[in-house]
Amino acid sequence: MKGNRYISIRRLVFICMVVVPALPFAITLMIGHYYFSTSLENGAISAIERIVSDHGRIIDTFLAERKSDLDFIILSTSLEELKQPEHLQRVFNLLKQESSAFIDLGVFDASGLHLAYQGPYALTGINYQEADWFQEVMAKGTYVSDVFLGVRQVPHFVIAVMREESGSKWVLRATIDTELFSELVESVRIGETGDVYLLNSEGSYQTVSHGAVDLMQKDPGGAAFPDTGGGVSTFIKTDPSGRTYLYAVTSLSEKNWQLVTRLDKAVAFSSFQAAAHRIIFTAVVGGLFIILAALGLTRYILGRIMQLDNEKDTLGQQLIRASRLAELGEMSAGFAHEVNNPLQIMKSELGLIQILWNDIPKDNLPAPPQDISQIEECLDQLQLQVDRCGKITKGILQFARYSSPNPQDIDLCNFIPQVKAMVAKRANVHGIALAQKISGPTLPVHSDPGQLQQVLLNLLNNAMDATLERHGIEGGCVEIEAGASSNGVITLSVRDNGIGITEDDKKKIFSPFFTTKPVGKGTGLGLSVCYGIMEGMGGRMDFSSRHGVGSVFSIHLPAGGQKGPPDAAPEKKH
Amino acid sequence: MSNIQMLIVDDEERFLLTTQKILSRKGFDVMIAHSGQGAIDMLKENAVQVVVLDVKMPGMDGLATLREIKRLYPFMEVIMLTGHATVPSAVEGMQSGASDYLMKPIDMDLLVEKVEEAVARRRAAEKKSIWPQPD
Repeated sequence: MKGNRYISIRRLVFICMVVVPALPFAITLMIGHYYFSTSLENGAISAIERIVSDHGRIIDTFLAERKSDLDFIILSTSLEELKQPEHLQRVFNLLKQESSAFIDLGVFDASGLHLAYQGPYALTGINYQEADWFQEVMAKGTYVSDVFLGVRQVPHFVIAVMREESGSKWVLRATIDTELFSELVESVRIGETGDVYLLNSEGSYQTVSHGAVDLMQKDPGGAAFPDTGGGVSTFIKTDPSGRTYLYAVTSLSEKNWQLVTRLDKAVAFSSFQAAAHRIIFTAVVGGLFIILAALGLTRYILGRIMQLDNEKDTLGQQLIRASRLAELGEMSAGFAHEVNNPLQIMKSELGLIQILWNDIPKDNLPAPPQDISQIEECLDQLQLQVDRCGKITKGILQFARYSSPNPQDIDLCNFIPQVKAMVAKRANVHGIALAQKISGPTLPVHSDPGQLQQVLLNLLNNAMDATLERHGIEGGCVEIEAGASSNGVITLSVRDNGIGITEDDKKKIFSPFFTTKPVGKGTGLGLSVCYGIMEGMGGRMDFSSRHGVGSVFSIHLPAGGQKGPPDAAPEKKH
Repeated sequence: MSNIQMLIVDDEERFLLTTQKILSRKGFDVMIAHSGQGAIDMLKENAVQVVVLDVKMPGMDGLATLREIKRLYPFMEVIMLTGHATVPSAVEGMQSGASDYLMKPIDMDLLVEKVEEAVARRRAAEKKSIWPQPD
């Protein structure tokens, strides 16, 4: 029953101890995690946005510069001049100085015929009438193509400008090195896993990015990203291979290409992950700490509860013992009174018999003299036994506190040696060492000297009996100890190294008529009388004992000197 | 000098008879009463010097009887006999004018001694009071 109660208390306390601190702790961590991760995410996104938009401008600038390079040539030079291979070569060399990205340079007439070419391929004379780029440039005047294979069957893209000179149109076209261009695009790369590339309007790669994407292949992500309208759009998307990326996309203004930056989400938010790890670590360590603290505290609290329960039980048992003793006292007092009356009659009868018997002349009785002496012996014995009964009833009545104490201040420093002297002879005869240990020059108590003497003598005699039982007439040791204990209480103890008290006997030790001595040797009233006396004097009596080791009987008395406790000896007045 | 007249009051018949016999043999004039009321009646009819009074009796108890006796005969010597719980009442009795008390079971010799002491006291008191008191 009790065990179950403790278990449920333990569970309740433990759960409260864990939940109460853990809840706010967890909420704090979660709120912190939310705001921290949001701000980190925003930070990472805005950083990538800024980089993409800056870089988009750089690429735009590059394309615009290359266009204006060609514009400058076409405006400053006539078709006739450029048709000269030497002149074209000189112009191309100047162009190469402007930007190393130029691979070749070619001149076309209005019909698409390649009039002159400066570059690594042999393209002169080929007609580009049907080529997309040629049709576009003829229509728009300036054109930047997507990456295509063309006649040379190598991925490249071209920038072409058209000029109308004295009624006839001609076209100047330059090819851009895709590798150099890719490098330019890639220079924006963020982190180890970041990819940067250009996509055309159909979603095909226009640059390579560290081999992560293939030139002119369709982006596996599907079609091109929606038009960003000049700004930067960021989003998180999982590609078909199952990897999640943070994308930042911006549209170029010089060409309908999109600059795409994609960053592995784990890398993009790596600092966030580190923070998350730390938060998890904190949560685990904090949680463990809370649990450990709760365990410790629960154990402590439960220990205290159990201790208090034990104390309560002990107190309850003492209370039960006290009330049982009080009941026994009342009962035996009534019994003693009832026995006293017949005893009184017996005593009177005996007295009368004695008187009558004394009056009878013994000389010439018709009985042998041994019978007469037998009768006399019987009479004496009767007298003796009636007196013994009287002593028992008197003892009971004392136990039942029916004699009123007359308390006064006694100095134990004088009192104890006096009482000790009374038993000194007996101790000496039986080889018992009798010691005393009194602390302080004076130890005043408020008590009835006669009753206190009775109690102390009783305890000393009991102690000596106990040592005799264990040691015989050698090795017994009895010590009287006295000292002030706490707030106005003086404790007097009698310690012996005697036989001790068994656990069973401890419960009955103060009960009247309980004795371990042989029949006729002890009435079993000594300790119960002492107990009654102590109660009557406003004191207390207790003991501790181990069977086979020894016992200590202590009495606690109100200190004297100043004012005694108010209820120690109430005056009987009506 | 005439015998001492004494009255023993107790509810135990046999105690009264035996004690009467013993004390008579010791030279007392012993009267007996079984109750407080009986004792008062007896005192009205007989001259008595000492009363031995049990505290615990049915009807009018020892203390009430004592007060009544003391009211009627202020010089009466009263010795209380007590059982057990009556020690405090014996003390109260002493305060109400009893001259002594004995704890049961009593010794006859001790009773005789106490009665003689009481008589001596009474005689001394009477001697003193006769002279200063004209009435």
